Order: sequence, then C-alpha cells, then structure tokens
Amino acid sequence: MLKYTIERLITFIPMLIAISLIAFIISIMAPADPVERLSKAAGTEGSADEQSSASKKIKQELRKKLGLDLPIFYVSISNLASSDTLHKIQDKYQKTNLKALTHQSGNWQAVSNYYHALLKLEKNQKSLQINSSQEDLIKITEVNNQFGFEIGSLLETSKKEIIDIKLTKMENLLNDNTFLNELDQDFDYVVDCYKKLSTQSTRWKTFIPTIAWYGLNNQYHVWLVGNGNDRRGVIRGDFGESYIDGQPIARKIWNKIGISFALAVISILIAYIVSIPIGIYSAYKKDTFFDKGMSLILFILYSMPSFFIGLLLLLGFANPDNLSWFPVSGIQDPSSFDPNWSWWHWDALKHRAPYLILPIITYTYGSFAFLSRIMRIGMIDIVSQDYIRTARAKGLGENKVILKHALRNSLLPIITVFAAIFPSSIGGSVIIEVIFSIPGMGLEIYNSVLNYDYPMIVAVFTLVGFLTMVGYLVSDLLYAVVDPRISYK
Amino acid sequence: MNILIIISFLLFIYCLYEDGLLFTKKSSQKQKKVIKENNEKQKFSFSKYAWNQFKKNKIALISLYLLMALVLIASFAPYIANDKPLYAKYEGNKLYPAFAGTNIGWILNLGDETRTDSIFDSQGDFVQILQYDITDWRQLNLEDVIWAPIVYSPKSMDRYNRDYVSPTGKQRYKNPSGEITEIPKRFRHRLGTDGIGRDLASGLIHGTRISLLVGLVSMGIASIIGIILGALAGFFGDNKLKMPRIKYYFSLLGIFLGLFYGFGQRKYVIADGFSNGFGSGSIQILLSILVLISILIVCRYISKLIMIGKLKEDVTVPVDTFVSRGIELLNSIPRLILIITITSVVERSLWIVMVIIGLTGWTRIARFTRAEFLRIRSLEFVQASEALGYSSRRTIFKHALPNSLAPVFVSIAFGIASAILIEAGLSFLGIGVPTDIVTWGSLLNLGRQNIEAWWLIIFPGMAIFITITIYNMIAEASRDALDPRLKS
Repeated sequence: MLKYTIERLITFIPMLIAISLIAFIISIMAPADPVERLSKAAGTEGSADEQSSASKKIKQELRKKLGLDLPIFYVSISNLASSDTLHKIQDKYQKTNLKALTHQSGNWQAVSNYYHALLKLEKNQKSLQINSSQEDLIKITEVNNQFGFEIGSLLETSKKEIIDIKLTKMENLLNDNTFLNELDQDFDYVVDCYKKLSTQSTRWKTFIPTIAWYGLNNQYHVWLVGNGNDRRGVIRGDFGESYIDGQPIARKIWNKIGISFALAVISILIAYIVSIPIGIYSAYKKDTFFDKGMSLILFILYSMPSFFIGLLLLLGFANPDNLSWFPVSGIQDPSSFDPNWSWWHWDALKHRAPYLILPIITYTYGSFAFLSRIMRIGMIDIVSQDYIRTARAKGLGENKVILKHALRNSLLPIITVFAAIFPSSIGGSVIIEVIFSIPGMGLEIYNSVLNYDYPMIVAVFTLVGFLTMVGYLVSDLLYAVVDPRISYK
Repeated sequence: MNILIIISFLLFIYCLYEDGLLFTKKSSQKQKKVIKENNEKQKFSFSKYAWNQFKKNKIALISLYLLMALVLIASFAPYIANDKPLYAKYEGNKLYPAFAGTNIGWILNLGDETRTDSIFDSQGDFVQILQYDITDWRQLNLEDVIWAPIVYSPKSMDRYNRDYVSPTGKQRYKNPSGEITEIPKRFRHRLGTDGIGRDLASGLIHGTRISLLVGLVSMGIASIIGIILGALAGFFGDNKLKMPRIKYYFSLLGIFLGLFYGFGQRKYVIADGFSNGFGSGSIQILLSILVLISILIVCRYISKLIMIGKLKEDVTVPVDTFVSRGIELLNSIPRLILIITITSVVERSLWIVMVIIGLTGWTRIARFTRAEFLRIRSLEFVQASEALGYSSRRTIFKHALPNSLAPVFVSIAFGIASAILIEAGLSFLGIGVPTDIVTWGSLLNLGRQNIEAWWLIIFPGMAIFITITIYNMIAEASRDALDPRLKS
C-alpha cells in the first residue's frame, strides 16, 4: 500500500507542474496589456491628454509589481540574433514589434539603434515649444498631434510597406511645416537607422538556435511560488487581481464558491439516491419490459443537453404565460431577504428553496442518467459472478443476495465519481448558472470570459486542474484501500 | 460543402443498394434475397455481418436514415431556405437568383452572390439594374416564379415582423403595391422570428450545416491524433520500442530542431498566413509540419552514419507512459472549462473552435485504440507479421489497425455527438463562435434572453437533441453490432 501511494505521488507532482505550465502559457498568450487593464480597473486611467507623469509612474510601479520586467521563464530558446535584454522593455506591443523587427533583420544592434532613435524623436517632439499666433495654433497643434501619432504607430509596426508609407508621410509633414524644423536632425537619424536595418542585415543569425538561462528570478517562478516579498505565488493562493474591479482573485473565488459547492453536493446526493435503486432494479429485472423502457428513457435523457432542459423548465414552471410556480432567476429576492440571515438560517433556507429547485433538477438529471447506466452495467456484471451464485445456492433470500452481497461490490465504480464534486463545483456548472443567473462560480467564469478578465480565467483553470488531480489521487487511494487487489498489481 | 454533398450521396446510394431498393428491377426482391443468402453462406464477411446485425436494430436504422436526411438538408440548405427565388421570370428574362454564389451555380456558371444584371424588356428597352443580393425580389412584379420551400435567408431581416413574432400569431407583409397587409400563406414565418425579424426555420436549416460540419471536422482531427497516439502506445507499450541510443538522441534533437525551424523560425510567416485567411494559414501550418518531418528524417539518417561503440546499444522508449500521462493531463481539466479558457485567448472563429474541440477530444479515442492494441499485439497474426520481419509501421497500419477499428469507430460516433453538444453549448453562451453566425446554440440563446418566445427554445433545442440522439443511437447500435462482447 505504501509503495503504491508513493508511486502515485511521484506521478502526481509532475502533473501539477504541467498544469501550472499550461495555465501560465495561457496567461502569457492573453491578448491584452495587463498594466493598462489593471490601471483602468483601479481608476487611474484618464483620457489621452490627461495622462500625466504621475499616472505613468503608477503604471511603472504596477509593471514592476507584476514582474513584467523579468524574463518569462527559467530558460529561453531563441536564435542568435535576438537580444537577451528585450524583456526589460515595458510596452507589450513595442516589445512584440521589436521581436518581429529583430527577426526580419537579424541584427539586434541596428534594431536597438532604430528604436532609440525613434524614442528620441518622440521625446523631442513632445517637448517641442509652440509659440505662434492664435489663428495658426489649432492647425499647428493638429499637425503636431499627427506627427506624434505617426511616431507612435512606427513604434508598433514591423511591416516594411507600412513603415515606408509612414516615413514618407512624416517627411512631407516636415517639409510643409516650418515649426517642425527642430526635429529634422532626429528624423534624418531615424531614416538612417531604418536604412541600416536592411543594409546591415544579418539574417543568417536567426537560423542558429541558442539557449539562455535566466535563473530563478523569472515571471513563471514568481507567479508560481512568489518572490518572498509582495507576491505570494499561486501555491499560496495569490492569483493576482481582477481586471474588472481590482479585487484579489482569491477573495472573489472564495465569496462565490459556497453556492456552487452547495448546489453540486445537493444535486449529486439526490442523483445517487435516485439512480442507485433504479440501476439495481433494472439490472435485477434484466431484459424485462421495465429494464428496456428504463434503458430507453435513460438513453434519451442522456442525450438531452442540460441547457435545453433548463430552458424547458423555465418555460414551463417559471413563466407567467404558463405556470409561474418558481422565480425566474437569482437565489434571493433583495426586497424580502434579510442580509443578517446566515445561510444556514431556517428563514434563509425557506426563502431560497424555491429559487434552487429548478437548478437542482437541471443539475441532477445529467448525472442521474449517467450514474444509472453505470450502476446497471456494474450490477449486471456482478450478478453473473460465481460468488453470487454461491450465495444463492446457500439458500439466502433474494433480497439479501442483491442488497448485501452484490450491492457492495457494484458500488465501487460509482464511489469514484464522488471525487469529481470539488472540481465540478468550481467549473462544471457554467451553463446552468448562466441560465438561472445563480451568482456562483459558473456565472463568475462566464462574466470573466465576456469581460476578458484573464487573471480570473487562468486562476479558475489552475484551481480546477489542481483539484481534479487531487480528486483523482484521493479516489485512487480510496479505491486501493477498498479493493486491495489494486495495490498488489 | 462539396465534401458533404459527395458523402451524403455516396451514403444514400449505398444504403439504398444495401436495402435492395436500387438495381432490383430485373429480378424480384425475393430472388435477390435468396441469391444473397447463398453468397453469404459461401463467403463470410465481417462488415456484412456487422451490417446485418446493425439492421436488426430498427431504432438505429431509423436514426441512420434521419442522419442522411440531415446531411441532405445541410447540403442543400441554400436551396431549401433562401429569400431569393429559385427561378424567376422578369420582363421576359429567365433568372436563377438562388443559385448564384453556390456550388451548383458555380458549375453552371451563374456568377457569384453579388451578380448584377441589367434587365431589358421584350422590346429591348432598359428597365432596371438588379444586384441579386440586395434586390427585394418580393417587391418585383415577377411573371413566373418558383420560391424556395422556406422563403427567408438566415440573416435576412424582415422589418415588418420584428420583436419575436410567434408562428401562430399575426404576421405582417408589404405587398408589391406597397400596402401593409396580413401575410400570404406562402410567406408566413412558419416557426416564428427573433427580435430583429430573422426567420427561425431558415436559421435552423442553415444551422444544420454548422452542426454537422463541427462534428465532422473536429472529430476528424481528434481521430487522427487519437488513433495514431493510441496505436503507438498500445503497440509498443513501455518496453517494446527499442532503438540505438544515438538514434534516440538524434530523434529528440530532430524534434527540437524541427520545432525551431518549422514553427519558431516561421512564426511570423504563419501569423501572416492566418491574417490573410484561414486557408493560407493552414497551408503555412502544413508547410511547417513538412519542415519538421523532413528535419526529423535527416537527423535520423545522420544518426545511422555514426553508429559506433556504446552509441549502438539499444535503449527503450517509454511511449505508453508519455501518451498515458498526456491523456491524464487533458482529462484533468473539465472539457468545457478547457475550451472556454483557450477560446478566450484566441480569435473568435468557427474554424478555430472546431480545431480546439478536436485537439481536446482525442483522449477517449486514444484510450480505446490503446486498449484494443494491447489486446491485439499478443494475437497470432500480429506476431506472425513480426516474425516475417515486417517493419513496425507495416505491422501497425496494415495488420493491427484494420482489426482494431471497431471500438474506435464507436467512440468516434459518440465523440461527434459530444462535439456537437459542446459547440451548441459554446454558442449558447456566446463564447468562441462569432456572433454573426446563426447556429442552433445561438438561436437557443435568443430564447434564453426572451423566455416568452417559446418557439426559440423548443425548435432549436429539439434540433440539437434529435441530432445528438441520432448519433448516440447509431454509436450504441454499431457497438452492439461490431463487438457483441461490449453489449450491455
């Protein structure tokens, strides 16, 4: 038994690491700049011209706090041309653009020069003093803004045709407007550097793979185990902050998980209570009318999508046109629900019961059909075994044979399903909670997907993965305890 | 859609043939049957036996015919539900508006959707210019017209029947003389409309295409991955695949270099390809895979040249462990959560959704293939082919695989049902599938938003339910027919 446990544990840990890696890759792939989203959530974002140096400073601190200036992983595989300091650049779009440029020309030094030339041009353009008569001012500001916009877009594009167009546009602006004369030198330097990108190109360098080692101070490591400072890492429950309202993810999940967990437990219990007798009875009465009819009904139920059942229930029993026995959505009526009630309070339960009946029916029926089928097949398998025949030959009553000898062994496969409760309480009920507007984890996931709240999505993904692996481990070990043949394999 | 049409025809003709409905005019049904039975006595064929077993299950047979009907509906959707007439005679000109821009129209050279005709009457005087896709054909004074069975396209909005018009309720219509009247029977929305006046029946007909396509494409991807990985894992196990150490190392190196040159080096080319469209992107991906394979082959060839001394010793490759761990990893995350998470970071596109469903759905197929190979690899005919010195590739694909496809086929059929279910669930939630595509799930979502519109819940829900049931029935019946041991 000990050996089996150790064996399972040894395969368990790499799987956890693999799940964390997948989750991390997804969070890296998320198409948004986390700093922009987070500062928007915190309300520090002003309109474009209000962006003062103060808000920039906040963003920089945020970037530092998120560890975005660190390398992504312990090692990186890239090519000889790429730079090992690129990860220090703050802006996400400029970073990807520089990567693409380096890939095109193969000469990091030239790309770096070009980038710095552009930055210098941008800086000088921003500090340009405009003193002019009143009537020209509007036009001049417009031209100036357009020039700034062209620089900004040059910083984020790597397509040759677009760069050429932008450069000619800027050149025309420079020629037409005298007040931009101060920038002539900087602009010429940019064009010069841009030409060098193709003349000094060393594309062969991109064909030589290199491996760089960055050490422990990288984004993945900090994300997973924290940096011993302000980040505590995923393994200590720090999933970061939500893009929507800036709240810590862990607290948000903790607030929402109770109702989903309660729903999952109640409905799985009901499913067990209903499906085990049905499974036993149809296995016992195999090939009779009852068994065949029940099999067909279960089969049809099994093919019925849960969202269809949920909507049909709403249509039938929570609809003023037909029967409005139950409320349509939510889990409580804010006008009559007393917030001082704790959730196990009798009045609270009584208040909430009508809200929960339809969701529980929807939740239950899917696992009900599944469990009954498993139960029936397992039972048929057991009933034909020798020891059942022996029990009958001993003269035991039919009830005793079925309920005492056969049932215990046929329950084994069904017990393992219980391990799925925890992960399914987090992620298994998205559709049902959306239909009935139950403010649990499922609805939270749905909202976070609609609002592109990536930290939440990644946190749920990681948690569900971890919990399922733990569930597998526990159920395997339980199974080995109950059925000793497994650990002696 | 060409593929769907061809497959549907072939299947249909095959079933008619098998049922004796086709080519039976010469001899009577009975004689034919006798001849058939005689032939069967002489030669036993497994596929014929399985087909006979399958035919005994009446419900499954009905399901198969229903499936074929669905495939036909999907193939001919543009001619079943279209707001343009199939044939129209206007000022003496014969027009075929519904065929423009479709497959048949392409064969007959009828132009594309935006075809524009200048119409002249019989005296040769210019009447007007008709651009097919924006003309309101109902408002023209057509001399002779054949409408499609359902006279609405899935995206065409009927502005006189907005705001959830019930199939039994009052519907309005603007006749060619410009008056708003009670709708003629021909133009009724038979299954009602949604909030912006789109016809539900037409949406259902066109949604059939998407559902069937999702099942076909995603399970195609899943079964290729699942069968190959499962076969390798089951056939080689943990200690049967032996290769010289140097070859093993060079294969790993080849995979690394192949990934580097095929995908790392070409990632901007691939991204460019995908920005030009899904087709050119897939071609770039295929090219990358080609690069990977050729580098792998080159590396393995080089390794043969330096096979000396200790490097020649055999090492075992734990194929089964790799594949089993991969399956366990994919299974450890509930499929819906996995798909929702991935779709949230990639672009919204139906094709990407199909690919993701396929990439996450191969585990079941791989497990079945693996189990079947574990059983088969100790059987005599596999050992005979090994004893004859055939290569592993030949043994796996030519001898073992054809004999282990039965349970795999069943799990593919179940997989199609669950792929359709997942796609419906995703579009029901409005995740992943673009909002402008009308699918059964998105129609059901409209019903969720307005619970009074019962027709938007009942009809799409029944469509999903029936399709899934059909696939499950066929899968269950073919399991019973192909492998009686699994019968429960």
